[in-house]
Amino acid sequence: MTSHATISIEPVGVRWQSMLPPLAVLALAGLGLLSSDYVVTVLGFAFIYAIFCTGLNFFMGYTGQASFGQSAFAAIGGYGSAILCADYGWEPLLALLFTMAISGVAAVFVGYPTLRLRGHYLAMATFALGLIVYEISIEWTSLTQGYMGYSGVPPLGIAGFDLVTVKQQLVALAVVALFGVFVAARLRQSRFGRALASIAGSEPAARALGVDIARYKLIAFVIGALYASAAGSLFAHFVGFISPEVFGVTMVVQSFAMLYLGGIGTMWGPTIGAVIVSVLPEALRGLKEMQDIAYTAILIFILIFAPRGLAGLSALFKRDRAQTREGA
Amino acid sequence: MYKRRLLMAAAVAAAAISTEVRAEDVFKIGSSVGLTGYAAVIDRAWRDGLAVAADALNERGGLLGKKIEVVVEDNHSQPQDAVVGYRKMISSDKVNLFDSGCVSAGNFAAASFVVQASLPMYLCSILPQREQEQVWAFSFLAPPKFEIESRYRYLKEKTSVRKIGILYDPTPYALMMKGLGEQLAKDFGLEVVAQDTYKPDDADMTVQLGRINAAGGGAVVKIGQGGSTVTAAKNIKQLGLDKMLLLSSNDDGSIFKQAGEVLGDRFLFVAPPVQLPKQLKPGPTKDAVDAFLKYWAPKYPDRDPTNGARAWDSMMVLAKAAEIAKSTEGKAIRDATEKVPAYQGAYAVFNFSAKQHVGITENPFLIGKFANGELVSAE
Repeated sequence: MTSHATISIEPVGVRWQSMLPPLAVLALAGLGLLSSDYVVTVLGFAFIYAIFCTGLNFFMGYTGQASFGQSAFAAIGGYGSAILCADYGWEPLLALLFTMAISGVAAVFVGYPTLRLRGHYLAMATFALGLIVYEISIEWTSLTQGYMGYSGVPPLGIAGFDLVTVKQQLVALAVVALFGVFVAARLRQSRFGRALASIAGSEPAARALGVDIARYKLIAFVIGALYASAAGSLFAHFVGFISPEVFGVTMVVQSFAMLYLGGIGTMWGPTIGAVIVSVLPEALRGLKEMQDIAYTAILIFILIFAPRGLAGLSALFKRDRAQTREGA
Repeated sequence: MYKRRLLMAAAVAAAAISTEVRAEDVFKIGSSVGLTGYAAVIDRAWRDGLAVAADALNERGGLLGKKIEVVVEDNHSQPQDAVVGYRKMISSDKVNLFDSGCVSAGNFAAASFVVQASLPMYLCSILPQREQEQVWAFSFLAPPKFEIESRYRYLKEKTSVRKIGILYDPTPYALMMKGLGEQLAKDFGLEVVAQDTYKPDDADMTVQLGRINAAGGGAVVKIGQGGSTVTAAKNIKQLGLDKMLLLSSNDDGSIFKQAGEVLGDRFLFVAPPVQLPKQLKPGPTKDAVDAFLKYWAPKYPDRDPTNGARAWDSMMVLAKAAEIAKSTEGKAIRDATEKVPAYQGAYAVFNFSAKQHVGITENPFLIGKFANGELVSAE
């Protein structure tokens, strides 16, 4: 299934408009610092998902492929960090980097045969990957402790300095999320990014231009896995506990909602989607049992009126302004 | 103009002070429950049991004169949502204590920062794993060995079945029970000839049941809750296993009725006294069950009272702890809970102490069956 992602033609270069999203992220983090631990927790999860979705956007948005299995790499990152830190006393940052490397290698081994598939077959294969890792996390109790979960995962820390409070961790998560988007933006504007865009547009055309499609797809898949692994590790450190439910189908559904709501194929769409999908249910919490209905109704409303996601709205307004000028 | 402003300021200050006084007069109990997802059946009953108990206690003047207010947050049976809900209840609602449902992973995920906030946790689930978290947590769930022992005793004393199969789901409580099931079988002269797992949402278990039958198992000890029990009963019938017994874990009465309709008296289940109220003889257990049903039955006449009763009992233990502590402060309630003398509840006797944070220490379970359209004792 080739997703119908449209790579938006966002302007390259530093203009004042391009500074708005990172400033918004920093403002959100600042708001969190002035708020209760509840708000901090919601924003923390939003930033973790922003990292996850930014990686997923590489494969689904920039490359136009479908993957339902990124949660598998988040599970590798989460369990890897939990086990290495809680049982073997590793430094959280070292464990995070190490599990990213493990996830990257796993993505190469899995991706090499899997990415030969296309369309629905690729979607099914990646979905199976997610389910397999989920089952392993339940059944391999000697390693993962199954549904009992892994407790006592230490908070994030660097060189012996632990980020003990959730507010300190929120700052770290905001910085990592911004760094993740920055790296994604740089890669997207590179030769490599243009190759991915050509694959998303038309594989035969890209092949005719000399793009090694299998290789580029694999690299995009591995990059997505690295981001997912980092998100899984950060989740484990942020909450201090992980269990298989965290990396189940809910994670896949939620990340897809974030990606499409924010704007698949756009630079800031995943972050915008992650923040909206994380914050919106909390804003509707007062509705009690009607919360889920109101939440999904709003999501549907947004997707109807902003089918290219919220990040695509700016392009829409620009086009309207241009048409008005032409008309004048 | 000046006087009007002064009056307004005074009114605002008075309103603020009265709100503060009102907040001090309320004892807030936070409850993280899975109102949707796999724990929904039990946790909805838990929520309703808390509400019924809060009404009953408030009628008697609340907790040391404070009105009890239950703040419920749905965790969708997901640990991540539970973390957010717990954080909200601590920092926004300023709850005084938690009395949460059966989503173990959600309770475990929140335990570390609930401890940091020095708030006691009364739980429908098993205790968190870490010792420092167990200090603040109290479990109202029966130890898994009791459910196993009741079934094994029944098989030994009332049947000629000596070879059994264990069918279990991979939840923490079920895994603990399955381990005990293997260990305890010999003590009751039973042999576990097969054991197999299933997922709570499996729509077919004929393969697992076929294996147990092929290994010579005459009874299936099923560990796990939900609609899977009905599936297992239907599969036994479909396979034509006319002599095989199915012994289920404790669950909601609606599940037992459905499974009983399929297998008749070959379906047996573990039940606390409150689930078989007509079978009870006069005594403290019946008195406790009646005290609960007096409030529960008029409100929920068609619903099974089992898990609501456990939540009710947890609130009654809290009331006793507050009486002992003469305070509603978190640390005082925690310490006092350990000193509550054996309390006869509607579900079981609860016997907490400094070393015993799993309250049920005596086996409360009976074996029940479905006959003539109702749940009755099989013993």
